Amino acid sequence: MNGLEMSTAEQVLFWIVGPITVLGASALLFSKRAVLTACSVMVTMVGLAFLYVGLGSPFLGVVQVVVYTGAIMMLFVFVLMLVGVDVSDSFVETIRGQRWIGAIFGLGLLVVLAGAVYRSTFTFVIGGEGAAGDNAGAVASLLFSDFAFTLEVTGCLLIVAAMGAVILTHRVRLTKPVTQPQLMAGRTKRGLRLTPPPAPGNYARHNAADVPAIDPSGRVIEASVPSSLRLRGQVHTLRGLSQDLLEDPPACGPKEVKP
Amino acid sequence: MSAASLLSALISASPGASLGGSLGAPSAWRGAAAAAVVEADISIDWVTLSPVAIVLGAAVLSTLVEAVGARRSRDGVAVQPAFLRIVQVGIALLAVAAAGLMALRLALHVDEATSLNANGAVTIDPMTLYLQLAIAACALLGLLVIADRTVQGEDAFAPQAAAVPGSDYESQARRRGMTQTDVYPLVQFATGGMMLFPAAGDLITLFVALEVLSLPLYLLSGMARHRRLLSQEASLKYFLLGAFGSAFFLFGAAWVYGATGALRLTDIAAAAALPSGLDPLLVVGLVLILVGLFFKVGAVPFHSWTPDVYQGAPTPITGFMAACTKIAAFGALLRIIYAVGPGLSWDLKPVLWTVAILTMVVGTVVGLVQKDVKRLLAYSAIAHAGFILTGVAALSSDGLSGSLFYLFTYGVATVGGFGVIALVREVDSQGHMRGEATGLDQWRGLGRRSPVLAGTFALFLLSFAGIPLTSGFVAKFAVFQAAFGAGAAALAIVGLACSAAAAFFYARVIVAMFFEPAADDQTAEFETLADGIGSAGVGIRTLGLNQIAVAMSLAFTLVLGVAPGWFLNFTRGLSQLIS
Amino acid sequence: MSVTAYLLLASVIFVIGATTVLVRRNSIVVFMGIELMLNAANLAFLAFARMWGNVEGQLAAFFVMVVAAAEVVVGLAIIVSLFRTRRTVSVDDENLLRH
Repeated sequence: MNGLEMSTAEQVLFWIVGPITVLGASALLFSKRAVLTACSVMVTMVGLAFLYVGLGSPFLGVVQVVVYTGAIMMLFVFVLMLVGVDVSDSFVETIRGQRWIGAIFGLGLLVVLAGAVYRSTFTFVIGGEGAAGDNAGAVASLLFSDFAFTLEVTGCLLIVAAMGAVILTHRVRLTKPVTQPQLMAGRTKRGLRLTPPPAPGNYARHNAADVPAIDPSGRVIEASVPSSLRLRGQVHTLRGLSQDLLEDPPACGPKEVKP
Repeated sequence: MSAASLLSALISASPGASLGGSLGAPSAWRGAAAAAVVEADISIDWVTLSPVAIVLGAAVLSTLVEAVGARRSRDGVAVQPAFLRIVQVGIALLAVAAAGLMALRLALHVDEATSLNANGAVTIDPMTLYLQLAIAACALLGLLVIADRTVQGEDAFAPQAAAVPGSDYESQARRRGMTQTDVYPLVQFATGGMMLFPAAGDLITLFVALEVLSLPLYLLSGMARHRRLLSQEASLKYFLLGAFGSAFFLFGAAWVYGATGALRLTDIAAAAALPSGLDPLLVVGLVLILVGLFFKVGAVPFHSWTPDVYQGAPTPITGFMAACTKIAAFGALLRIIYAVGPGLSWDLKPVLWTVAILTMVVGTVVGLVQKDVKRLLAYSAIAHAGFILTGVAALSSDGLSGSLFYLFTYGVATVGGFGVIALVREVDSQGHMRGEATGLDQWRGLGRRSPVLAGTFALFLLSFAGIPLTSGFVAKFAVFQAAFGAGAAALAIVGLACSAAAAFFYARVIVAMFFEPAADDQTAEFETLADGIGSAGVGIRTLGLNQIAVAMSLAFTLVLGVAPGWFLNFTRGLSQLIS
Repeated sequence: MSVTAYLLLASVIFVIGATTVLVRRNSIVVFMGIELMLNAANLAFLAFARMWGNVEGQLAAFFVMVVAAAEVVVGLAIIVSLFRTRRTVSVDDENLLRH
């Protein structure tokens, strides 16, 4: 096989996976939801992995899935989750007509590239069996001979990446950590509650988080409702509870034992 | 894995010896029965590789020092031992100086024109050694400026880069006098990448070196001490546009590989000399590679990151980056054009001419309206990139030597210029020192307050403008003469016109410093740190490293302006060895 | 014929990535566009590797993947650190840098 003809199996693979790849990539341009974009790009990467296997480099196909899809795109999804999944671009353009300029530039570049491809004549090949056989071994033998120094320098690159991530995001501790005894002493001094607040809700009737608990004398315990709901004023008022509970609060303490 | 194999290579390799290794790699893909054993042979000549190896090795050592150096005190709070900074600065300065000395020694003793190293991944020839020496010199000066700090312990970097600007954590870090000593390993990694970039022997090593030099710079741009918001914005912009440029570079490399079937630059040159049906691929690939390199250099229309990044990054980093990145990127550009392009010169000429003219014109015209000193120097850097491109576009041995001379003199003057900018600070009403005073109107009357500082800066500006008796004049003369001689007269004429126009905006700064009185309400607002050498300000002392670097840059600029002959002959000899 | 098909696919993906960088305003999406451009280069390398019968193209693609991983780490660290400050990931807020 001289590397220029595609077998039928490969043609089928190309014409099915190729359009999927392009569709996934175009989501980058047209989708407004960031997580959907990330997932489509993942589809594109997996599609490319299939194409790599079809091109005779199964090693790289696996590495593509493991590294690109499995590590890099996962990092993207993590950061998107951190940043907020409902964040979408503002579609107000800072430069007028920027989208059209970008589109024209892209089309122009595509025309130049395609033109160069069509004007070249692919006529020959030198013994196209190079990639057959032990693919990982062939890559390895080249990697550890001609490119061993480059590999070491790439190791330096990874050191830089790791150091950079730590520098930009890791905050060292500057204040002494507060211990439990110190925390309790501080609360006692200020006269605050020492125990966790009671759980919201009313036994066997309402256990929603916005219903306050009632203490034995029938008073509402404000602190039992989470503070974010209290701030928003979403606490259930007493009028929402059934009246019989208020007029006849459940007795507490042991019942009288009849002799 | 990296350290272990480096160690084993060191132990078993000597000049010319080979390191053999074997791996077993089961070939499950084609169902072969036996496990295949793969032989890998590499020969590394560590002596010629030593500049790069010394700097990268020292960078790794710095990282280790960083990892074990930070301590925890008894109550769980992070403490920075005082010696950490001294050790890091010491390692950095020693490593870069040693690398420079090795490069100098190799350059003086090199007898053959070109030698391949590491199985062709690295090319060591006289031009490479010269560029590595230039990068080491500028990096050493840059490191002196980076390492400088006031006697109260304030350097140019944020106390904790991970702190949110304006938060309590940041003020706590500032009060405790924390410093970000991670800067030094990053600067060394960047320098190592910059030294490898012009020495790369194949496309992949070029790409990896490009990334190794760029990633630390993206990180360092965001770590300014004052005006942190601006700094972080600059970092993001540099990163996005830099990665964009690298992607263009890589796509071009793929097409060049496709057109020639080889990754090694020598093989590509051999294949490119023969006409083939795949030539359109080769041309498009080369143009895309050039586009990627133009991004790095700051040529128009890929220059949009330059003003914002130069303004936002910490001033010592701006000086380091401006000088050394240009030297490295132009080195790679020269290698690609001269090694690969000779047969295709008539295809590349229009591209080079257009970009050179656009760059000179845009850099000069937009620089005329700038009001901020750092942005002014940024647009001046763009214009200078255009002038160097004129020398490159001449495509002759004279052009090559002119460009090499220009790169070194420009680099040294840039580091000095930004070093001076780092010394002029704002002081607020309580007498606390704030960031650099970069507005042009804040520089008015500097000549009276600090004559030595203003005079030094004026000399650097005159060198940028190309006034005789400065190295800038000699460099421009060499470049334009080469352009005229190679039939690129249009480029030279545009260059001369732009130089004349650029002299206006340099003159504006000089006039503001010396001939305009300081605005009355601003006399309390800035102080210079060049205390003791005749300033009129209150003493805010630094360790003096910055002043040493500025003095050395000034010395180079004047010496190479008054007596450039020996240096010009040196570069001419080098370029004749290449082409 | 096959090489042209793969090359055109690589060019289309590259152009989509480049246009994304120029048009979109969310910095994470812009960065994904850059990753797509690197992938297109990988596809081109592998197609040419098959055409020339060479393993060097595969090695090139391998290095590109490693470098892309390192770049993603640094890039996302910068984006996250910027997000902590400004609570937005848009590339539009350049008001600070306008002269």
